[in-house]
Amino acid sequence: MRVAIAGKGGAGKSVVTGTLARVLGRRGERVLALDSDLLPGLTLSLGADAPERPPLLDAAERGEDDRWRLKKGIGPVRAVQRFSTPAPDGVRVLQAGKAPPEGTQAIMPALQAYYKVIHRLARTPAFGEWALIADLPAGARQLAYDWAPFADTVLVVVEPTSQSLLTARRIMRVAGARPGVTVAAIANKVKVPADRERIETFLGELVAASLPADPAVAAAERIGAAVIDYAPRSPVLAAIERLADELAEDGPSQRSRLTR
Amino acid sequence: MKIAVAGKGGVGKTTIAGTLARTLARRGNEVLAFDADVNPMLGVSLGVGSERTEQLVAVRQALDEGEAEHQPTVEGMEQAFGAAGPDGVWLLVCSRIDRADPG
Repeated sequence: MRVAIAGKGGAGKSVVTGTLARVLGRRGERVLALDSDLLPGLTLSLGADAPERPPLLDAAERGEDDRWRLKKGIGPVRAVQRFSTPAPDGVRVLQAGKAPPEGTQAIMPALQAYYKVIHRLARTPAFGEWALIADLPAGARQLAYDWAPFADTVLVVVEPTSQSLLTARRIMRVAGARPGVTVAAIANKVKVPADRERIETFLGELVAASLPADPAVAAAERIGAAVIDYAPRSPVLAAIERLADELAEDGPSQRSRLTR
Repeated sequence: MKIAVAGKGGVGKTTIAGTLARTLARRGNEVLAFDADVNPMLGVSLGVGSERTEQLVAVRQALDEGEAEHQPTVEGMEQAFGAAGPDGVWLLVCSRIDRADPG
């Protein structure tokens, strides 16, 4: 399973990513949660501790051409072994790095190392059985610049607002330009059936999953807890478990069940 | 008055920026609303509508595609790239990412 999760800011990307990763981890899958957002979010939704400095800073060195590259001897396997951090349920998290107050320049080595690792992940046999679940920053930018090359599925989280719908449509166009990638919409914060219908009408296709507007999410986020820990019986968790079922049955070789 | 509105996604940056722009314009100020997000949505909050927001010219793309000349002045930018919104607010969209590999 190689999934990237995108959407407008505040649509619920991190909640979907973090909860999905935990659900799969509980089911015994080996899960690598990939966090390329320079702002915090995913570790909270995973219920994990955030590293104080980007671990991948130690994976990079300057090459003769003065560009940052992975240190000699560090490939995707070692990068994940050494520089990913633990989350509950056996999930590992690989973080590109969070922007410090002085700006992104300070974490450039880590960002470059991350970009190189993710470009080799999909071709590394050791990760063949792993679930790769990526939380992308808001908007279409990282998809446009190839920050999810490993993904065979892009899930676009969309809520029933004009801005979220327009953003989702832009993202789906960008993500769909890559051949062989399944692009599907996840309706979030759905209050009434008409919300889901509005999303499907606007996007012109069925949504792959519909997540309810659930006060448990807001309550969990208020105290910085993972939904899966804070509200184990919440409707939104049940919906994400069904999404995990769908993804698990969605083999890479067959036509995707998500968009049928 | 030169104001930038920032914050995490979904907190209401665009709603505040758009409503502030309209309010100031109604009070008689000349307002230039500048959308610097590569996922530009300020048009929606200003009230120009979803579909027109999608069709607004973005400076970066207009320059890249050779449809427009660089403009050294704000007034030139407004004339070349701006769109009139409600209450006389001028809206200027910086850039829009809507395809892969934008260069």
